Amino acid sequence: MSIQEQGVSAPSARSSRRFLIVTISGRYLALDAGSVEGVLTIKELESGEDPAIQGVIERTVSLVMQLGGSDAPTHPTTRVVMLTDQEVRGSIRVSDVHGILEIQQAQIIPLPSQFIGVERHWYQGMILFENSIAMILNPTWVLQMHAGSDAVQERETPRSSMDTWTIGVSNGRTC
Amino acid sequence: MVFSIGGRRLAVKTLEVAGISPWKPPIPVGSRTPFITSVARQGQAVLPVFDLASFLRLRVQGNHPLCLRIKHPLGDMVMCIDEEMPVLHTLEPAAIQVYRGKDMPAEGSYANGLDEIPILAISQLGSCMK
Repeated sequence: MSIQEQGVSAPSARSSRRFLIVTISGRYLALDAGSVEGVLTIKELESGEDPAIQGVIERTVSLVMQLGGSDAPTHPTTRVVMLTDQEVRGSIRVSDVHGILEIQQAQIIPLPSQFIGVERHWYQGMILFENSIAMILNPTWVLQMHAGSDAVQERETPRSSMDTWTIGVSNGRTC
Repeated sequence: MVFSIGGRRLAVKTLEVAGISPWKPPIPVGSRTPFITSVARQGQAVLPVFDLASFLRLRVQGNHPLCLRIKHPLGDMVMCIDEEMPVLHTLEPAAIQVYRGKDMPAEGSYANGLDEIPILAISQLGSCMK
């Protein structure tokens, strides 16, 4: 199934896409930069004065179990990625944030056709990253889990700028 | 080509073999597709991993297992096989018989001494297996 078939706009092969590369349970995952509002630590979230922030913490989703990994303990320095998609907001807990990766659309590898389960809704493709791969998460799926737990959040919350995480990119690799 | 998995010998048509290399730990994707839950990177290619050992309820043998890359109609796949080096067997078509086992999709089998060696039906691997 192609990226286009999964309901994602398919820019021309030469257009560039930006992804935030994170690690969850030792696996690289890529989040479309357009769906990322910011990255905060648990400590930063807890120190915020806005009471809505507590709700953000409580409603933060861990994808570890969904993706079949083993959960890691949460620390004050654990990072939370704030996501938005079509006015739905949510957040996910991640193990590490590696930075922004800019690649050409043509460099996105579709999920192999042999995968026929619900994972076709989870991933929008794959990116070669370092000596491994990063699976591109479908933000709509991630935020559906929030919606399922009544976690739709319409209000603004304090967040760090995405630019904070922008790192040098050269030829499809962070550097 | 005859290879082993969990000590059991299986055959695959050489036309359906794309290569053999050392096995590297696959990258899990947490999928729900039976027996295809990870991918392997080979250069610029990312290939689904079919867990034939689990499908057959066997355990791959050896400290240095091999990666068998096969040509599947939906695209190449890889499987982890025993470290025992696969060997080529040439068969006359008349030597191929019906495989009566129900444990795997097979295009037939042939007798090798007292052994019956099933010939895997590669095109049926991964399609609606439970």
